[in-house]
Amino acid sequence: MRKVVCRCEDLSEEDIIHAIELGFKDIESLKRFTGAMTGPCQGKGCMMHILRILSQKTGKSVEEIGVTTQRQPVNPVPLYILSGDEK
Amino acid sequence: MKVAVIGGGISGLGVAYFLAKLGAEVEVFEQKYLLYGASGRNSGGITAQFMDKELIEMALRTMKLYEKLQSEIKFNFLLRKGGYLKLSDNPRELEKEVEYQKSAGLKVKFLSPEDVKEIFPDINTNAFKAASYFKDGAVIFPWPVIWGLAKGCRELGVKIYDWTPAEVVSETEVKVKNEVKKYDVIVNAAGAWSAEINNKLGIKNDLRVVKEEICVTESLRPYIDPYIIHSNGLYLSQSMRGEIVGGIVGKAGEKSLDSSLDFLVKYAKLATKLVPKLRGLSILRQWSGVYDETKNGKPNFGFTGKVFQLNGFGKNGMSLALAYAEKASKEIMKS
Repeated sequence: MRKVVCRCEDLSEEDIIHAIELGFKDIESLKRFTGAMTGPCQGKGCMMHILRILSQKTGKSVEEIGVTTQRQPVNPVPLYILSGDEK
Repeated sequence: MKVAVIGGGISGLGVAYFLAKLGAEVEVFEQKYLLYGASGRNSGGITAQFMDKELIEMALRTMKLYEKLQSEIKFNFLLRKGGYLKLSDNPRELEKEVEYQKSAGLKVKFLSPEDVKEIFPDINTNAFKAASYFKDGAVIFPWPVIWGLAKGCRELGVKIYDWTPAEVVSETEVKVKNEVKKYDVIVNAAGAWSAEINNKLGIKNDLRVVKEEICVTESLRPYIDPYIIHSNGLYLSQSMRGEIVGGIVGKAGEKSLDSSLDFLVKYAKLATKLVPKLRGLSILRQWSGVYDETKNGKPNFGFTGKVFQLNGFGKNGMSLALAYAEKASKEIMKS
C-alpha cells in the first residue's frame, strides 16, 4: 500500500525516506529537495507526518528537528483581492 | 592546492566543482542550509541582455555550462528555454540597449507590444511601450541547480559542511568550531555576507546588500513561455512546476528577510495590470531574499591577496555565476 504523506506534491512515505537516506536530514533541506510543504497546503497537511518520519529515521526529537519558516499567507489569497480590484 | 570556499550558493558550489575537476582539494562552508541565501530564493531568470561585452559573453557561457553540467552530473535542473522579455515604458532607451547588444553579437530583437502579444497572447499591450526579446533566455529552477552542483561536488571529493559558520581570520586561515584551518586560497563566495568577510579582513569593496521580495501562485499547466521583466520593477515567469513566480526588483539598504503585505499588494496590482487573466490565481507563499551588488553592475571578481572574490553578482547570479566560477577555478589553479 502506498502511504501518501504530502497530497499537494504527491509524495509517499517511501519518497520521504528515500530523500532522508540521500542525506537530506534537516527539515529545511528535505523541504527543498522533495517539494513537500511548498504546495497549496503550505505544510498544514503534511509537516507533522514528515516530522514523525524524520524523527524515526534520524533518532532526533521533534523539538530538535524544529519546523520550517512559516510563509504568508496562511491560506491562499487571490490576486484580485490583494489588488483591491473587485470588478 | 587546498582551497576553502565560504558560501554554498551557486558561485561557491560552482567554483568548488570546477576546482575539484582540476585536482584541487576543496572544502565548502555554508553557515546555514544550502539554498538559504539568494541562490535558493530567486526566480531563476536566465538572460544575456547586459550592457557590457564581458557580461554578455559570461552569460552565454553560463547557459552552455548549465546544459553541460546537467548531463555531466546527471541531475535535471528543470531548465526551460522559453525566451526572456524585457518590457519598458521608455522605448528609446530600450532600443539603444538592443542596438548595443546586437553590435556585441547577441541575438536580441526590439519588439512592439503587438509583437509581444504573438509570443504571449494574454499580455496587456497597454501596460508597456516596447520590448527587448532574447529568444535563448530561459527559466531555471534554482533548487535542483544547487542540489545538482552539491552532488557533483561530493562525487569529486569536495567536502561540503552545511550548518557550519566559518570565520575567515586571515587571508589563509578559517576558524571553524574553534579550530583554525589553513588553506592556500580562500574564496569569498558568501553573497550578501561577502562584505562582512572583506570588512573584517580590511579588504576594500563597494558591495551593498539589496533585499527583494517574491511570491508564488498555485500551479497552472505551463503556458507562459518567456521570463518577463518590466521597467517598473515587476517580473514574473512560470516554473516547470507550473507555479507563477514573481516579484519586484529590490532596493539597497535593508538586510532583513521579512515579508510584507505592502509588497504583495503592489505585486498584485502590477501583475494583474500586465496579465489581467491572472487575477483569479491565488498566492500560496511569499518570501524575501538578499543579494550583494557592486556600483558598476559587474561582479566583484579576482584575487585580493590570497582571498579570491567571487561575489557581487547583484540580481544576475543565476545568469552569470557559473562562467565566473569556471574562470575563477583556472585563475586559482594558476596562482
